[in-house]
Amino acid sequence: MTDEELITMVREQRTSVPMTTPVDQIISRGRAVRTRRRIPGIAGALAGAAALALAVAALLPAGHQAGRQPPIQLDAWTVVKHVDGTIVVTVRQLHDPAGLERTLRADGVPASVTFFGHEPRACHNYPLDLALMHRVFGGHGPPLVIHPSALPSGTGVQLNPGHYPRGGPIALAAGLVRASPRCTGS
Amino acid sequence: MGTQRPDFTEFYRGSKDECLFTVLLSVGDIDTAQDLVAEAFARAWASWRTVSGHPAPAAWVVRTALNANISRWRRRRREVPIPDPAAIADRASADGAGGPVDPRIMAALLRLPARQRQVVALRLFLDLDTGRTAAALGIAPGTVQAHLGRAIAALRADLVPERQQEAPS
Repeated sequence: MTDEELITMVREQRTSVPMTTPVDQIISRGRAVRTRRRIPGIAGALAGAAALALAVAALLPAGHQAGRQPPIQLDAWTVVKHVDGTIVVTVRQLHDPAGLERTLRADGVPASVTFFGHEPRACHNYPLDLALMHRVFGGHGPPLVIHPSALPSGTGVQLNPGHYPRGGPIALAAGLVRASPRCTGS
Repeated sequence: MGTQRPDFTEFYRGSKDECLFTVLLSVGDIDTAQDLVAEAFARAWASWRTVSGHPAPAAWVVRTALNANISRWRRRRREVPIPDPAAIADRASADGAGGPVDPRIMAALLRLPARQRQVVALRLFLDLDTGRTAAALGIAPGTVQAHLGRAIAALRADLVPERQQEAPS
């Protein structure tokens, strides 16, 4: 069997599972999405941003271990820096992104934080590398764990917490970007 | 706005099955994949002016569906469904309309590493060229080729011996 024959055989599978939702139903749902959407482009921005490929939970799990340093405890979000350098981020409410950004930067993480509904700051995406993403973010949450030591030189993190999908609980979309004063503060 | 509907409808009808299959390979459950793809297409309709200008609108839909799936996955407390190729084949047959699902091919695809599966999905199922696949995944074109080559080798190792064994000598 040649490669072409193998590819053809595999390709034939792509229409083997029919998408049965009528287009009218899709459009009806699309109208509802459009009506609710006041700030367009976030989904597209996320979809198009190669770096924003990892979404992790922001809800604090029952088994969460307290940090060895006193956490910075606010109503909206929590940042805990452990002695091994890892940083745990929990977002409960979409308030004060600038404060979260400042806190992360103070903990040594070049960071850009914007919340859902606001255009992410213009940053240059770092080439998508899932293995690197897992080293930096510790895999999927919850909660978001950042390993700053795994960040390559010249990179930072971009967080875009929000309700994904709309109406759902808060999740963090996290990605890697090229660090710059304009984007990540350093 | 009136001119959007025909274009979108054509796009939906022409790419829905490929998008569903691509998402199904990542999700492993037909019902979940249907929901995710339907929602992603709805978002595409809501932003059709932007999405229709995307170099690969189907890839946009798939990416949007998979992003939404990550949130679902989290809400389910990290429960990850174990895809069952035979169950997928049975379910697809029950739905009718599509072609026959070969559980062996489905299983071989599901066994591929995630990145290889992504490349196969974009290159072979969505018909993106190497450049667009590379752009969608944020990797170099050469890396796309390398992943595709490894994926084809793995699929061959999985599928061809079985087929040869079935063939009378």
